Amino acid sequence: MSTAATEPASDRAKGDRTRGDKGEVLVDVQDLKVHFPIKRGIIFDKVVGHVYAVDGVDLQIRRGETYGLVGESGCGKSTLGRAILHLEESTEGTVTFDGQSLTDLGGEDLRKRRRDLQMVFQDPMGSLDPRQSVESLLVEGMKAHGIVGDAEAAMPRLKQLLSDVGLPAAALKKYPHEFSGGQRQRIGIARALSVDPELIVADEPVSALDVSVQAQVINLLADLQEEYGLTYLVIAHDLAVVRHISDRVGVMYLGGIVEESDAADLYANPLHPYTRALLSAVPVPDPDVEDTREQILLSGDLPSPANPPSGCRFHTRCPWRQESRCDDERPQLRLVEIDGTTGSHKVACHYAEQIASGEIQPHDVETQTEDKPKELREAEGDEVADDIPFT
Amino acid sequence: MTTTTPETARRDPRGAEPLLSVRDLTVTFKRQGEDPFVAVDGLSFDVRPGQTVGLVGESGCGKSVTSLAIMGLLPDRGNTVTGSVELDGRDLLTLSNKQMRDLRGSDIGMIFQDPLSSLNPVVPIGRQVTEVLERHKGMSRKSAKPVAREMLHKVGIPDPDRRLTEYPHQLSGGMRQRALIAMALACEPRMLIADEPTTALDVTIQAQILALLRELVEEMDTALIMITHDLGVVAGLCDEVNVLYGGRLVERGDRHPLFHDPHHPYTGGLLSSVPSLEGDAAERLNPVPGSVADNLPWTSSCAFAPRCSNAIERCREETPAAVASGDRVLRCFNPLGGQASPAESEEDRR
Amino acid sequence: MTPTHRDARDPGTKGPRGLGSRKKERIDELAATAGASGPVDEAGAIDDTAGVSLIASAWRRLRRSPVFLVGLAITIAFVVLAIVSSWLAPHDPGEWLLYDKVSPQSNPIPGPEPGFPLGADDKGRDLLSRLLVGSRQTLIVGVCATLFGLAGGLVLGTLAGAFSGWVDSVIMRIVDVMLSIPSLLLAFSISAVASRPSQWTLIIAIAIVQIPIFARLLRGSMLAQRSKDHVLAARALGVKKSAIVLRHMLPNSLGPVIVQATLVLATAIIDAAALSFLGLGNPDDRNPEWGQMLGRAQTYIYDHPHLAFYPAICIIIVALGFTLMGESLREALDPKSRR
Repeated sequence: MSTAATEPASDRAKGDRTRGDKGEVLVDVQDLKVHFPIKRGIIFDKVVGHVYAVDGVDLQIRRGETYGLVGESGCGKSTLGRAILHLEESTEGTVTFDGQSLTDLGGEDLRKRRRDLQMVFQDPMGSLDPRQSVESLLVEGMKAHGIVGDAEAAMPRLKQLLSDVGLPAAALKKYPHEFSGGQRQRIGIARALSVDPELIVADEPVSALDVSVQAQVINLLADLQEEYGLTYLVIAHDLAVVRHISDRVGVMYLGGIVEESDAADLYANPLHPYTRALLSAVPVPDPDVEDTREQILLSGDLPSPANPPSGCRFHTRCPWRQESRCDDERPQLRLVEIDGTTGSHKVACHYAEQIASGEIQPHDVETQTEDKPKELREAEGDEVADDIPFT
Repeated sequence: MTTTTPETARRDPRGAEPLLSVRDLTVTFKRQGEDPFVAVDGLSFDVRPGQTVGLVGESGCGKSVTSLAIMGLLPDRGNTVTGSVELDGRDLLTLSNKQMRDLRGSDIGMIFQDPLSSLNPVVPIGRQVTEVLERHKGMSRKSAKPVAREMLHKVGIPDPDRRLTEYPHQLSGGMRQRALIAMALACEPRMLIADEPTTALDVTIQAQILALLRELVEEMDTALIMITHDLGVVAGLCDEVNVLYGGRLVERGDRHPLFHDPHHPYTGGLLSSVPSLEGDAAERLNPVPGSVADNLPWTSSCAFAPRCSNAIERCREETPAAVASGDRVLRCFNPLGGQASPAESEEDRR
Repeated sequence: MTPTHRDARDPGTKGPRGLGSRKKERIDELAATAGASGPVDEAGAIDDTAGVSLIASAWRRLRRSPVFLVGLAITIAFVVLAIVSSWLAPHDPGEWLLYDKVSPQSNPIPGPEPGFPLGADDKGRDLLSRLLVGSRQTLIVGVCATLFGLAGGLVLGTLAGAFSGWVDSVIMRIVDVMLSIPSLLLAFSISAVASRPSQWTLIIAIAIVQIPIFARLLRGSMLAQRSKDHVLAARALGVKKSAIVLRHMLPNSLGPVIVQATLVLATAIIDAAALSFLGLGNPDDRNPEWGQMLGRAQTYIYDHPHLAFYPAICIIIVALGFTLMGESLREALDPKSRR
């Protein structure tokens, strides 16, 4: 069924929301940076540093595809997702959606534009207002965008939405706490669909769900994409999930994308040392694979995004690190041509070719303890102290 | 960097005497004005020194309650625990609170999912480790300090001298989990219970922690109970796997046969619903329908029946019994190509 | 309470029944239907009953809580008493009926006698009637002081919680200043500033003391709501800011404020007694009020402690009623206690 059929005809007919061709660039992110100031001070806050959550990301998402963004916690993938939706102010750079710059939009224009960009959250309970029935949760967005006048008129569409996500109409009168986790996530997806968006940013859509339920939601997302021609940006830490649902995958490390390619290509031929380590670390539910495979154990932790390493962000943990260049010069995301990879494989590593050919061999990494400036460490301590509730 | 290839042929601990022996463990929660809720129902398993036993299942399957019951950490009121938990022939369920406190940390160590809330935020890491040593080994604070330093070093915390004086919030998630493991291991317990120890961690850190646990089990001959929902973790770490559903054991087996040839439809469903890193990515996943909210009561049926693709009429009318054949235990009337369980009568259970 | 499927189906059932038995019924139904129709839908079963909102489920839990029921009983008794006391009282509480028995030297406080079971006060007014009728003024003082405090706190707290930045800073600094003055001293000053103390200066003094507490509480829980995913979801959905504040943030923040209000009701009555005791209450004692009666009893506290004892007991019982209710409300509204 096409989207137009479920949409009030008058709205669709205006032509301002007709969809472009599949495959053209829908979201274009250029050099996006999101830096959060770290403030300290007794009376007046003084900025003592920044958390470089997203630090120069270029990213294109094509219409109708699923772009998977993987990375570990603290790499800035969630912040990037929110910055694309303009839910987080960006420090620098632009986000262009369907030819229109979102970064310049504000106020009412932005609010109206939000109809095209929706979000699905990690925590299905926390993302649903516990005081609203499912009906009022689903109607809210439609009312805000004038898609329906009142709840009565919305009823056919509400039932359609629920059946799209596999729930019976009886769910309308219920409240979020009366559902199981998977059902709640379905409601969250129905809410995102309610305003008929083009892009859905799904931030860890299945990580809070039980294993057996995860697969239900993954299948549902795939079905809905097919039915409504949706474009997805799926943010997740689970590499297997991302591989399964994505057409293209970007790997993030400390605020930047280090590798990007078609999903199959990326998983078959990981070029960046970090991607290799990440893939080798994923536990596989097969004892034979677990017993025989080679693990690249990275030493140490993710450095603090408030004090990222110079040069290549990964050089402090990289087993293939080379003298001076890796420490000094930040590698740009570049197209590489290596046998066996597709032509669109991008990687941010100075020595990708040499590592792939085996010219550079891995070596032991001296575990470095991170030495943050004293002020920054204290500032982070303060943040924790601030979390202690006021009593 | 270390490139590790886990040994394929591990020492087989199965011949040894069990260190911990859980028999018919049943935990019932009772809240005022509500019907009692049986969280763990007749669970039995053994753990031998140097063996890793996995308890696998989804939320609500009773795996965490089991660990708390073994540790004697369930609240004093509102629940009843029956059955027996024998450590070296001593039933832990009959011990007093004080005796259990002496045992925890010295003979049994525990690692929790969330390292930040398991550590005291206002006490330095080093102090928290030395406290364990002072409490259980009767060491002085001074003599405990080098031991604590050694422990932190052993679990892979770099620059342990500095870390000793730091507070939990100054450490990263992986470092905190290591600190927690250092605390659990400080007194060289013979038994370690890890409740989702890597769930809150990233994959690269998870790999480090799992490698560490594997090493400890082998080196110190510790018995490890690994509680997790992650089948990948189980496949790589556990010798014996217990699959729990709705508070009862539904399948048990050594990891190789269990993963290659799951008999219970739930085990099979779990395995087929996880996307894999190999194989065809476009292939549709095969989820288990519904959620644990759809369970039937075990007392008159198989709890999994409503979600089960293999369910037959009998599954909704009788309770299947857990049947052992060799090393495998199965509770199912209509397993995936195999031997069915007989029905379980109430008398059998009591 | 919202009528539910269960109530509709078995109206004959008396008394509260456990959630557990409800669940069991559901399971039985499920078993019955599932037996016929095979495995569940992929999303899992959803029963056909009407939903139970948070408030309804909180009420279900409250109905079974003995603490709440005791508190509620005391509160209702108090309110009913306040309404019907004028008919209940055997005498006019303002009339100096036993004044001729009062002699300042030998018998300042007339004792009990037929028709006057508790005796009279220093002006010969019937003590029992004064206690009964006093409930009305006490209720007015408690409720009005709480309502005014709540209203002021709601406005300030909502403004501060909805607009971050300088609005929040300014309001919170004002509130901090108010908090930094000891509450009794603040009430004392307000009462003293009023040219002629009356019942209303008392109410306003107590209300103003409560404002910063309500404001801080509400702001805190609004701020907590602001960072919640469901608020972010509403923003992502393109919902207007005013609607986000009024529909999502405010209703979800009110729980602790309502609980605080029931607790404040109790303290307002006690504060009123304290101010009256200090002579800052209503000088006109024709309409009795418990706090005021307690305050006046101080002159005779050594020889006739019962004058203070009776109103004090009344205040304690009523305050206990509100506190019990507030505490059990707090427990019922706490999302962690929900299952």
